[in-house]
Amino acid sequence: MMINTNIYSKELKRYRNSFIAWSISISVLILSGMAFYPILMQGDMLKQITAFFENPFMKNIMTAFGAGLDVLTNVLGFYSTRNATFFMLLGSFYSIFLAGKILAQEEREKTAEFLLTKPVTRLEVLRSKLAAYFTYLLLLNVVILLISFLSLEIFKGDSQYSLKAFFIHWFYSLLLMLTFGAMGLFLSLLIKRGRPITNLSIGIIVGGYFIDVLSKVTTSADKIGYLSPFKFVDSGVLRPDYGLAWWRVLYFLGLSLAFFALTFIRFKKKDILV
Amino acid sequence: MLGKMYVIETRGLTKYYGKSRGIIDLDLKIEPGEIFGFIGPNGSGKSTTIRTLLGLIFPTSGSGRIFGLDIVKDTKEIKKQIGFMPSEVNYYEKMDVHELLRYSANFYETDCESRIVELADTFDLDLDRKIIDLSRGNQKKVSILQSLIHQPPLLILDEPTSGLDPLMQAKFFDILREENNKGTTIFFSSHTLSEVQKMCRRVGIIKEGKIIAVEDIENLRKKQLRKIQIEFSQPAKIDDIDCSGIIAPKAEENNLFFLFSGTMKDFLDTLAGKDIKDLIIEEPTLEEIFMHYYSEDTERNNNPLR
Repeated sequence: MMINTNIYSKELKRYRNSFIAWSISISVLILSGMAFYPILMQGDMLKQITAFFENPFMKNIMTAFGAGLDVLTNVLGFYSTRNATFFMLLGSFYSIFLAGKILAQEEREKTAEFLLTKPVTRLEVLRSKLAAYFTYLLLLNVVILLISFLSLEIFKGDSQYSLKAFFIHWFYSLLLMLTFGAMGLFLSLLIKRGRPITNLSIGIIVGGYFIDVLSKVTTSADKIGYLSPFKFVDSGVLRPDYGLAWWRVLYFLGLSLAFFALTFIRFKKKDILV
Repeated sequence: MLGKMYVIETRGLTKYYGKSRGIIDLDLKIEPGEIFGFIGPNGSGKSTTIRTLLGLIFPTSGSGRIFGLDIVKDTKEIKKQIGFMPSEVNYYEKMDVHELLRYSANFYETDCESRIVELADTFDLDLDRKIIDLSRGNQKKVSILQSLIHQPPLLILDEPTSGLDPLMQAKFFDILREENNKGTTIFFSSHTLSEVQKMCRRVGIIKEGKIIAVEDIENLRKKQLRKIQIEFSQPAKIDDIDCSGIIAPKAEENNLFFLFSGTMKDFLDTLAGKDIKDLIIEEPTLEEIFMHYYSEDTERNNNPLR
């Protein structure tokens, strides 16, 4: 049998409340973030902003964050720069935290002894837990998709956007979260007795984010951006040729699969010391 | 070559944690339907043995079979037939007792519901309490139920009585005897012999990772080991009495204490003419017999009782 439904349903139940809390927080963030778009588009505000962007120093900085004036005034542009950063960061946190504890928590709370003396193979345990993780990661992203679409439709006013670009951007952010989750799962397995990897996780994501930002501010640091998974999310949603690039998808999936494979190999032979 | 079928059989089972010793070259044979006591102090390798048998950790070398199945390769099949009670109980704190037991039961094909209710009643355990709110003793009861509800043919119990009050302990032993009468094999680890001698037919003693003796409890009793105390009228010295069969002599003020495994006549002959005020000869407790195993230099003599 591929997964053990007993474990799977228990894991779903165990992490249900935290899923609901994260979903609500991220939804509120997306909705309230998008509520700024119509405010920005009001006459006075736009004039002030235009002046702000004509300052050459600020122009550079804002470009680093992907927030050119033309981008910000389009609803999808506004969404993908002003808003997406936050939910991508939060979603990545959710993903790395969940993956980082779904296995390790059994060791930390010493319940691994109970679970692994039941008639299940280690791989069944891992697969069942991963299935629960995938379920919630996917559900969270469905929530993000729906709330984002809703907020775009509510606040778009006269602005037009490409639904295809919206979907592709959403798909990239899902892959990003998956990649961080795969990293978190593997790292949690390397730590003795399942100690939490919260600080390390925050470091990886925040670090990755700033490397990406840094690489956009200075052209000389352009290359180091590729150290960060954030670099591989294409936020240029307004480009006419915006599409799904195979090398970006390959990067995310390859990295994730590598970490999952390493996790399987390691967990299969790991001594469980409680 | 198919020999006798053992419930548990290990050959040269060895586990090192990096460089530190777990168990060394362990050979164990547990027969069907027996209650086997596995005795050793903390850190001697009891839990390492059990964890290796259960596939929680992997042997460095050697092999083990349970019901003829390989402990590394066939661990899932093996676990269908095992009930395990850990020495320290750790369960999902947010679950209530019934939830935990159902979660446990769902891993097996047997329908356990009636057994859960029945055993909870026997042990006076409230099924609706949250795990986190339970006392240590009550958590231990959950652990007992968890190991029994699917009616496994082999029970592996790692120091099962710690934290149980005497009344519950008695009930627990009754249940174990009942299960044993139905044919269940029981592997019972403990650091106190007195606990095991009530239950077990055979005991294995583990010290510093090695099995140093496997004995029938009855045989141990019949070994004619005597505990002797001699009081002299002046301070006693260890070499005051010279007779073969003296084990672990100890001099304290005017008294000489030792265990004696030799011939009583030879011993009494050597006493003749000594300035002896008092002489006490008694049967040692099993505890003392085993203390002797531990005080003994293993290099010199692995098992003087044989």
